[in-house]
Amino acid sequence: MNEIKPTRTIGVPQPLVDGPEKVSGKALYSADFLPNNCLVGRIFRSPVAHAEIIRLDISAAEALPGVRGIITGEDCDEPYGVLPIARFEYPMARDKVRYRGEPLACVAAVDVETAQKALDLIKFEYRELPAYFTSSDAMSEDAIDLHDHRPGNIEREVDYEIGDVDSALKDADMVLEETYNCPEICQVQTEPHAAIAEYDAERDYMTVRASTQVPFYVHIMLAKTLKMDQSQIRVIKPHIGGGFGCRTECLNVELMCALVARKAKGTVRLVVSREETFITHRGRPETDVKMKIGVKKDGTITAVDFQVIQRGGGYSGYGVVTILYAGSLVFGVYNFENARYKGLRVLTNTPPPGAMRGHGTVGVRYAFEALIDEISHRLKMDPIEFRRRNFLSAPTFTANDLMINSYGLPECLDWVEKESDWKTKKGNLGPYRGIGVAASHYLSGASKSVNWTGEPHATIHLKLDWDASITLLTGAPEIGQGSTTVITQCVAEVLGLDMTRIQSVTSDSKVTPKDNGAYSSRITFMVGNAAINAANNLKQVLIEAAARKLDCKPEDVECLGEVYRAASQDEGMTFEEVVLAALEGSGTITVKGNYDTIPESHGTKKYRGGAIGGSMAYAYSAQVVEVTVDPETAQVTVDKVWVAQDVGKALNPLSCEGQIQGSVWMGMGQAISEETVYHKGLGISGSMLDYRVPSFIESPPIEVGIIESIDPHGPFGAKEAGETSLSSFIPALTNAVADAVGVRPIDLPVTPDKLMELIEKRESGQKAAIK
Amino acid sequence: MSKKNHKTLLHCTVNGREHDDVVDDNTLLVDYLRESLGLTGTKIGCDGGECGCCTVLVDGQPRHACLTLAATCTDKDIVTIEALEVQGRLSALQRGFHEKLGAQCGFCTPGMIMAAEGLLRENPDPSEEDIRQGLAANICRCTGYVKIIESVQYAAAELKRTGKEVAA
Amino acid sequence: MEFMPNFQLHRPETIEEALEARMDNDEALYVAGGTDMLVNVRRGIEQPKNLVDLSAIHGMKSITLNSEGLHIGAGVTLKELHGHEAVVKNYTAISHSAKAVAGSTHQMYGTVGGNLCLDTRCLFYNQSEWWRQSNDYCLKERGDTCHVAPGGKRCFAAFSGDMAPSMLVYEAEVDIAGEGSIKRVPLKNLYNNDGLDHLTLKPGELVTAVHLPQELAGDQSAYEKARIRGSIDFPLAGVAVRLRKSVDGTIEDLAIALTAVNPYPQIVSGLEGLIGTKLSEESAMQVRDTVRKQAKPMRTTTVAPWYRRRVIGAIAKRLLEELAG
Repeated sequence: MNEIKPTRTIGVPQPLVDGPEKVSGKALYSADFLPNNCLVGRIFRSPVAHAEIIRLDISAAEALPGVRGIITGEDCDEPYGVLPIARFEYPMARDKVRYRGEPLACVAAVDVETAQKALDLIKFEYRELPAYFTSSDAMSEDAIDLHDHRPGNIEREVDYEIGDVDSALKDADMVLEETYNCPEICQVQTEPHAAIAEYDAERDYMTVRASTQVPFYVHIMLAKTLKMDQSQIRVIKPHIGGGFGCRTECLNVELMCALVARKAKGTVRLVVSREETFITHRGRPETDVKMKIGVKKDGTITAVDFQVIQRGGGYSGYGVVTILYAGSLVFGVYNFENARYKGLRVLTNTPPPGAMRGHGTVGVRYAFEALIDEISHRLKMDPIEFRRRNFLSAPTFTANDLMINSYGLPECLDWVEKESDWKTKKGNLGPYRGIGVAASHYLSGASKSVNWTGEPHATIHLKLDWDASITLLTGAPEIGQGSTTVITQCVAEVLGLDMTRIQSVTSDSKVTPKDNGAYSSRITFMVGNAAINAANNLKQVLIEAAARKLDCKPEDVECLGEVYRAASQDEGMTFEEVVLAALEGSGTITVKGNYDTIPESHGTKKYRGGAIGGSMAYAYSAQVVEVTVDPETAQVTVDKVWVAQDVGKALNPLSCEGQIQGSVWMGMGQAISEETVYHKGLGISGSMLDYRVPSFIESPPIEVGIIESIDPHGPFGAKEAGETSLSSFIPALTNAVADAVGVRPIDLPVTPDKLMELIEKRESGQKAAIK
Repeated sequence: MSKKNHKTLLHCTVNGREHDDVVDDNTLLVDYLRESLGLTGTKIGCDGGECGCCTVLVDGQPRHACLTLAATCTDKDIVTIEALEVQGRLSALQRGFHEKLGAQCGFCTPGMIMAAEGLLRENPDPSEEDIRQGLAANICRCTGYVKIIESVQYAAAELKRTGKEVAA
Repeated sequence: MEFMPNFQLHRPETIEEALEARMDNDEALYVAGGTDMLVNVRRGIEQPKNLVDLSAIHGMKSITLNSEGLHIGAGVTLKELHGHEAVVKNYTAISHSAKAVAGSTHQMYGTVGGNLCLDTRCLFYNQSEWWRQSNDYCLKERGDTCHVAPGGKRCFAAFSGDMAPSMLVYEAEVDIAGEGSIKRVPLKNLYNNDGLDHLTLKPGELVTAVHLPQELAGDQSAYEKARIRGSIDFPLAGVAVRLRKSVDGTIEDLAIALTAVNPYPQIVSGLEGLIGTKLSEESAMQVRDTVRKQAKPMRTTTVAPWYRRRVIGAIAKRLLEELAG
C-alpha cells in the first residue's frame, strides 16, 4: 500500500485529449453539421470601396422559387463590435459601404445554385465616394470622413511620454532612427469561417454553432443584433480550424447566419469561401513604425521615442486596443525609464484588421530589435551582450507599471547562444550566410477584460457523480492550442488522478460556465488557475467525506489520487468509495473554481488606456535564426531556428513545443513571404496561391528550448506559450540577412525582389564610392 | 438541386463499400463525399487546390477531392480519412499525428494524413526530404510542419517495427 | 457545397470519341487532370456547357521509347514523367520541370498535355467571379480594359507552364488530333505571343502526344524556376537550358527557353555566337543580358516585373555555367 502514489501529469508531455477525433476525421467543425432541410446561406457583397447606398433591390431575388429568406441592412439596425466604445459596424451595411466586399445582403435558399442565382438578381444602386486605401490618403487634408463621428479618419490618437525623453536622448552617446513598414497580413487559419443557425420559431429560440474563439462575445452580439433575450440563445463552439486572432471578436458571418435563419424560419448553414475569409479579415494591420533609440557607449538604453501608424480599415474592431498595445508593450523586455509614444489608428476603405497573434506588439518589436541590432553593430558590441546590458531584474514594475514577477529572458538568450553555437558562427559563416538574434515577450492574458462586468476572469465547474468520473465543464474555447488538455491536466494534478478519469465538455453556453474566450493568451494562466481552484475545492469535499468514513480529522486524510487514507492507517478508501461517501446526502456534486487578477497587474494610470498591456505575467523568448541568401536570386533560405521561451512552467511540454514552433513559423511567414495586396481596395491576394503561407519545402527545422522561471502567480508557475515567439523571429531574420549580405532589410516581407533591390543599391553605391 | 442538371450514374468504391449513386455532372468529389455520403472528415480549406485539406486517395494516390469531378471517379477506389482506423484503433499514421502533436487544430490533418498515407504506401522508408516533398501540396497553419515530419517518421518506424503495411 | 456552373460531362474512351464529343457539343472544353481548368470553372472564368474529360482515354497514357526518340502521351501524369528513367537520364530538364509543377499531389494527376495547354495567368484574371465583376472584368475575359497595361489593346497574361520550356529546348514535337487526322508539329508552333489567345489550336483540336527527338537524348539540361515558396507556386520566371559540349568544353549546341515572362513559352534567340566557343564569364554575362532583353514580364503577379527580368537572366546564367562545368 505504501507504493501508492498520486498520478503526476504536469510537466509530462501529453498528447491532446481531443487528438483521436482529429486524426480519425471524426471531429466535427461548423461546416460538418448537415441537418436535414438545412438551407444554404450566401452573402451579397459590395463591389465598391466607398459609396452611399441609394437602393438595394432584392425583389426579383425574393421572388425566385427556392429562396426562403433574404436580409439586408434594413433587417438589423443594431451595431456590433468588440469594444463598447467603438461599436458602429452593422452585420450588413446600412447607409454606406466602406470597403470592397462589405456585406449588403444575405440569402437563404434551398441549394447553392438557387442562392447564387438570387445573388445575381440583387440590384445595388450607389453613389460612389472617394476611397482611401492608405493611411496617408485617409489622413490627407481634403479627405472626407468615413464615419461622421471620427473626424479626419482618426480612430484613435495616442500620445504620451514617460520620463524625460528629450534630455535622455541628449545624454545618449548614440541615437539611431529608422522607419519600418510592416504590410498587412492575415491569419489564414485553415478553416474558412462557418456558422450554422437553427431558429425555433415556435419558441423564438436560436441555436448557433460557429467557428469562433469567443462564443461568449458571439452570444452577446447575437442577442444585441437579433434583439432577442440572451436567455433565448444558445451558442456552441464545435471543433474549430485555428483562429490566431481572426475570430476573437464576433464576425458578421455568424450574425448574418442567425438573422437569415430567423427570417427563413429554419436552419441555415453559412460557410464562406477562402476569399471571403480574407475579406472578413481581422488580420494584422499595415503598421509603419518610426523608431528612435538612444544608448550610452556601454550599451545601456537611455530613451525610446517611437511613432506607429496603423491602417485600420473601414471599422474599428479591436483597433483602439491594437494601437494601445503597440505603445505599452515596448516596455517589459528591457530596462529603460524614458519613452515617448505617438500612435495613430486610421480608418481606411479596406477590410478591417483585428487582433492577430502577438496583437499590437509585432511591428514595434520588430523595429526595436532590428534597430538595437544596428546599434550594437555600430558599437562593435555583440548583440546578445548588448541585450544583457539592458536586462530587467524581477520582481519589478516597468516604467509604465507592468508587473513583472518572473523574467527568464537571460536564460533564453544563454540557451540560444549556446545551442546555435553563436560565438563560433557570428561573423564567420562566409559570404551570403548569416546569423541573427532577437528577443520578445507577450502577456499571459489581459488583466482587465474588454467587457468588464465584475465577474471573475475565469470559472470552471467540476461535476462529480456516482460513476466516479469527473466532468470538467469549461467555456474556454479549445481552438487547437490544447487548452482542454492543459485544464484537464491541472485538475488531474491537484487530485492526483489519471487524466482518463476526467472528461470535458466545452463551450456550450447552456451547459458550460461563461468564459471570455481564447485570446490574449489568457486560458492557461487564468482558466488553469480556476481549474486548480476548482480541483482544490473538490478535493476538500472528498477529503471531508473520507474523514467522515475513516473517522479522522480532514487534515489527517492523505490524498493519494486513487486512494484516500488517514495518515496513520495502512488501508484507506478507494477513490470510488470516497466518491460514494461524498455523494451521501448530497447527490451529484458540482464544485466551482474561480480566478481573478490582482489590481497591481492592471497596468498604469500614467496615460489614458494604460490598462492595455497589463497582465499577471509575461513570457519571454529569444531566438537565433541562420540564413543563406542566394547570390543570384536574392532568395532567403532559413536554414535553422533555435528558440528558447520562458513559459514559466511547461505544463504540457509537448504542446509548449508545438505552440512555440508554430509561432516562430508564423513569424517567418510575415518575415519572408506573406502580405495582403489590394488593387483599389480589392484584395488581390485573396487565395492561398497568391497569399503565400510558407509550404513544407522552405520551412526550417525549429529547435526549442523551454525555460522555466516559475511565475509566482501562474498555475504551477506557468505563463503563456503560444504568442511570445512570433515577433522575435522577424528581427532575428532581418538581422541574419544583414549579417549575410551586409545590407539590412527594413520593409517586410523580405521577398527576393525587395532584397535584390537592396543588394543592387549597395553594390552600385560601392562602385560609385570606388570611382 | 435543380432538376435540369446533367447527371451521371456513378459506380465507385468508397472506403471499401460499393456505391451506385446518381450525381450531377458538376458535383465535385469533395461534395459527394461530404454531403451525399456524410464523410465530413475530408475538409474544404480553400477555393480550389491550394491547401490540400481535401486530399483523399483515388486508386491509391493522393488527389484533391475539390478539383475532381465525382462523375470521373467511376470504377475508382476512393479512400478517405474515415477508413484508416484498424479495428477501431488508430492507424500508425494517425497515432503518429496524435502522439507527436502533428495535429493542433486538426483541420488540415485529414488531408495531411491522406497525403502521408499515399507517400508511405509508395515509399515506406522516407527521408525527411521525401516527407517534405510528399506533403508539399498540403498547408498547415498551426505546427510549422516540424511535428508533422516527426509524426510521419513515427509512423514509418512503427510500420517497420511491426512489419505491417500502411492502413491497407 | 461549392457553387459550380452547370455543364454536361463527357467521358470519351478514345481520341476519336473525344474529338466527336467536342465538335458535337456547343461551348465544349477539354479537361485533363483539371488542376488548373477546374479552378477556372469554379471561378466562372470558364463556363462551358460541355466538359470533355480526357482521363478515361487509355491511348494517351504511356511513355514509349523507339529509335526516333521518346514518345509521351498527353495523358501521362507529371509524376510518371519526372520519375521515368529515360526522362531523368536523357531529358533531365523535363524531369526537373515536372517535379517543379505546383505540389506533389498536383503532380499525381496533372498531365503533360494539360500543362502544355495551360491557360495564361494574370492577377486580374485568376480571381473569383465576384472579384472580376467588381473590377469590370478584363481584356482577356468579358471586359475591354487591360488592368496590367491600361490603354493597351494587348493581353499580357503570362504563360506559366513549367513543362513547355524544357520541351522546347529538346525541340519537341506534338501530335495534334483534329478532324480526320493527326498532324505532328513543332511544339513552338503550338503557341502565339498573345495572352488572350496563346494556343494555335483550332476549335476541337487536341494535343495527344509529345515526341522528343533521339538525336538530342543525353544532352545535358536543366530547368529552374523562381518562386517565393518551394511548393505550390506557379513560376515567377522559369528557364530551361540544354547544352551539348565537346570533351574540351567547346559548346556544340545550346538552347534556352523561358516561361512565365511572356504570354507564350519563348525560345531565346541570338545564341548562335556561342557555338564553337568555350563559355567564359563574359559570354555567360552576354547570355544573361540576352535573356533579360527577351523576357518581357509585366505586372501579372504580385512580384515586381523588374525582378522577374533580373532573376530570369541570373538563373539562365547559373544553369548554363553549371552545365558547362
